[in-house]
Amino acid sequence: MRARAFVIASAASAAVLLTGWQLGTAGTDPAATTASNGGTSKTTGGTDASSGSSSGTTDATDAAATGSTTQQAGSGVADGTYPGTTVGTRFGDVQVQVTISGGAITDVTPLQLTDHDGRSVSISNRAAPILRDEVLQSQSASVSFVSGATYTSDAYVQSLQAALDAAGF
Amino acid sequence: MVQARTLPPNAFAAMGTVVSVRAGGSDVVAARATVIAASVFERWDRRCSLYRPDSELSRVARGELALSDACVELRDAYALAVAWRARTGGAFTPHRADGVIDLNGVVKALAIAEAGEAIGATGVDEWGVDAGGDVLVSGLRAGGSPWIVGIADPGDRGAMVASLPLGDARRAIATSGTAERGDHIWSPTDVRDASFVQVSVAAADIVTADVVATAIIAGGEATLDELTACEQVDVLAVRSDGTLLATPRWPRAA
Repeated sequence: MRARAFVIASAASAAVLLTGWQLGTAGTDPAATTASNGGTSKTTGGTDASSGSSSGTTDATDAAATGSTTQQAGSGVADGTYPGTTVGTRFGDVQVQVTISGGAITDVTPLQLTDHDGRSVSISNRAAPILRDEVLQSQSASVSFVSGATYTSDAYVQSLQAALDAAGF
Repeated sequence: MVQARTLPPNAFAAMGTVVSVRAGGSDVVAARATVIAASVFERWDRRCSLYRPDSELSRVARGELALSDACVELRDAYALAVAWRARTGGAFTPHRADGVIDLNGVVKALAIAEAGEAIGATGVDEWGVDAGGDVLVSGLRAGGSPWIVGIADPGDRGAMVASLPLGDARRAIATSGTAERGDHIWSPTDVRDASFVQVSVAAADIVTADVVATAIIAGGEATLDELTACEQVDVLAVRSDGTLLATPRWPRAA
């Protein structure tokens, strides 16, 4: 369930970003439209972001539908990279860069991101599920310390750290 | 309390847990570094430990001493904790649900950092200090390989779920768990979200690692997403069903 919620939330986020991109490329000249839409679309984006959690699935479906339509209708868009509009999210302001190739979106990368205090942030550092055999393991002889929830001085005796200390690793 | 004679020469008891020290390439250097670290922890313990009824912090908790009359280190530690409360949107807080000011996490991290500095001041560049599972290192391990830290498996304390080499940008790692301090006389910190049973955070400094790990345990996935976006950290989180979450730069198996 949690994984599904994560996927829906991610889809909702993508929908917000895509919506922002569509607003930014509604005109014929991508660069000029992006510049002029910068102010107004931010308000729209903020509304989307706040409703995203309650109706995330609907938003994602709608965005996917309109997104593909735009793709077909937008065959006149020249190949290249276009900055999207800045969208307000609960993490702060988000702006993505969209790469168009052969009339289709081939890449979406985050540009400048700032949090509510104006600090640069990165949504690309988001944690994602990983299998146990995908994380790095090491032989105990190469490990010097074990990081875990704090053990009491009494529990230390049975801890892995006590064994490493005794061995001098 | 563990008797000193039951501990190996590279470890000592402090702050209700055990501190392990590695330094240099010889037992003599390591033994000297352990003594230096022990004196640093002793000083912090005396002033700021809730494990000691006679500490200044315990007297503050009982209302016998005003915080404004406490020593400058304790007031600075409190100011640091309050600043981190704002930086984590309240997920980390030095104020326990019962109203007691609990600076154990911050104080332990400050003691680890100061112990490391004190060891470094003796001319030893390669050292590691581990206080009950929170680790700060400098340089390389003897033999020239990076310091490697194992992450305890919350479901099996004798096993590790992962390991991580520490380096210049990530010299520190701290792990916070829902079972933390479970057998201590003080009640554990207020856990508002049960998403994770254990959160490990690697950072450039031990205070950031410790505070962010504690905040994510308290605040769950929402706090995880907010703090990984704003802080320079790598995170490995273990959910209550045993599955893992990792940030992109957490080391992967080859």
